[in-house]
Amino acid sequence: MISVNLLLAIIGAAFLLPLIWLVDAALNPHASAALTGPAWSLSNFRAALAAGAGGAIKNSLYLAMVSTIVATSVSTIAAFALSRHRVPFKASLLLVILFLAGLPVTLLLIPIFEIYVHLGWLNSPFYTSLVLAATSVPFAIWLLKNFIDQVPRELEEAAAIEGASDLRILWGIVIPLAMPGILVASILTFINSWGAFLIPLVLDANPKDQPGAVGIFQFMSANGVVHFGPLAAYSIIFSAPVVLMYLICSRWLNGGFAFAGGVKG
Amino acid sequence: MANVVLEGVSKYFNGETPAVYDLDLEVEDGEFIVVVGPSGCGKTTTLRMLAGFETPTKGTLRIGGKVMNRIPPKDRNLAMVFQNYALFPHMTIEKNLAFGMKIRRNPRSSIKKEVEEIAGMLGISQLLGRKPGELSGGERQRVALGRALLRQPQVFLLDEPLSNLDAALRAQMRVELKRIHSQYPVTTIYVTHDQVEAMTMADRVALMNGGRLQQIAKPETLYEQPTNIFAASFVGTPKINLLPGKLRRESDGVQLNFLSLTKRLNGSLGEKLSQLPVTEVTVGFRPEDIRLAPQGVDGLHVVSATVELVEPLGSETNVVVRVMDQVITCKLPARTGLSTGDAIRLEFDIPQMKLFDNESTNRLN
Repeated sequence: MISVNLLLAIIGAAFLLPLIWLVDAALNPHASAALTGPAWSLSNFRAALAAGAGGAIKNSLYLAMVSTIVATSVSTIAAFALSRHRVPFKASLLLVILFLAGLPVTLLLIPIFEIYVHLGWLNSPFYTSLVLAATSVPFAIWLLKNFIDQVPRELEEAAAIEGASDLRILWGIVIPLAMPGILVASILTFINSWGAFLIPLVLDANPKDQPGAVGIFQFMSANGVVHFGPLAAYSIIFSAPVVLMYLICSRWLNGGFAFAGGVKG
Repeated sequence: MANVVLEGVSKYFNGETPAVYDLDLEVEDGEFIVVVGPSGCGKTTTLRMLAGFETPTKGTLRIGGKVMNRIPPKDRNLAMVFQNYALFPHMTIEKNLAFGMKIRRNPRSSIKKEVEEIAGMLGISQLLGRKPGELSGGERQRVALGRALLRQPQVFLLDEPLSNLDAALRAQMRVELKRIHSQYPVTTIYVTHDQVEAMTMADRVALMNGGRLQQIAKPETLYEQPTNIFAASFVGTPKINLLPGKLRRESDGVQLNFLSLTKRLNGSLGEKLSQLPVTEVTVGFRPEDIRLAPQGVDGLHVVSATVELVEPLGSETNVVVRVMDQVITCKLPARTGLSTGDAIRLEFDIPQMKLFDNESTNRLN
């Protein structure tokens, strides 16, 4: 028992110490690779913001939000169709989608770049976010299909016989009941897009459009010298929105399914 | 309101065996039809075809004179009560009730008025603000009924609506459903596997088995004049007694032998039977058509039996007896004073006898 606890404590420390260092370094104007203890000021945050952290976060937010909205809408409709309608070659189609979910982005990036050159879509945050959305869609479809599968079919039939159209059923019955799944898919897409590095770097060469992940990288290697303090502050600014979102959404996610009472099982 | 006509309707899901085969059914405007049969007999598939959730593979389906084969559910103007109620769990009861009216764009004020009216009638007014998860089975059942009533449909479809309720509530809801039907005489098609529901509620009962319609008749007719062995044994508790019998042709009619009894069949039945190439038959007697033979009577219709089991039900007693190698159940008056092992004599009510052809299983008399 003691050895298990000890092991868990060591694993916990392995995760916690770097975090403590990060917070310490962000607040310490003379930060180094060592933990230095309290001599705290906000000067590192000021330095990070001066280096463009604010703008980069705004860009990240734009990319993540647009791609989340696009990916979630598209995958919800696709998942509904795959879950409920007779689609030819459905099983194979689902396998292809699963395969696509595992495909590394690097493999697609060159052809996408080529296509974007032809379409003249380079250097546009909107079109860049579409690619980010596309990378999340396959996994989101799988996730949402499983959630929608669990919405009892009788509920849709009951709505249909009351005169509801397919769209009305999707909007009024399926989406509210699959909301926990839609939230999970949104969060995953958001985080995926928020941390995206390669796609925005390749598809958008405009320095003004660079998101946080690219910003940190450039900031790290800007002067040949690594300034740990401002870098740590930048990291904290960059991760704050995602952490915040997790905290807010966990309230709904804990709620889980709300099917109770709709149909008697 | 409308009549419902099915003409030669079949449904194949995949493969050779049909879920419903060549079904002809005509339901009159305002009629309460109960479709009854064992699991897998095709009754639910029939209902789902009427609702529009399944398309018939063959045949024509008309509601109110209009062919409905390919009309989607939303355009059929029907209401359905599902076995598991299918209430929308994320909406309050009020919103559940108002759902259809909102889709049909009824004015807000009339929605509120009608929802309150129906809730009052069903005794669920105090539940309007709650969600389905907070309701008991009986309450949910009422909400589902209310939602269907608010639809003001041409035809009412009910799919085993009482099967999730306990026995007392089920009996109460049976009465209530009949009351609602007399108040709103909408054409109703009610699917169940429970013969009691079928017998007590239906104007006519449609009995199905193996995807085929066996008989459609008034409850009394179904009980008194079953068309075949299946119909005879599906309806009635305890079940009808089916005994092997033999026919022997004679110059002036036919002689029937079963157990130790011999019965001469004259008249039109005898004539009819003598024409048929049938010798092996099944003889059916309902449990209430067998009684204790009075002392001293030693007629042609009396057999000796041994009591195997006595089931007192209060108002009457079910007695299982053995006659030769056959086990027979009879319904005797209460307080018979019989006990296992007693030797008794039973008398058969011959006019109530049902005679079936062993091969086609159809009734002969």
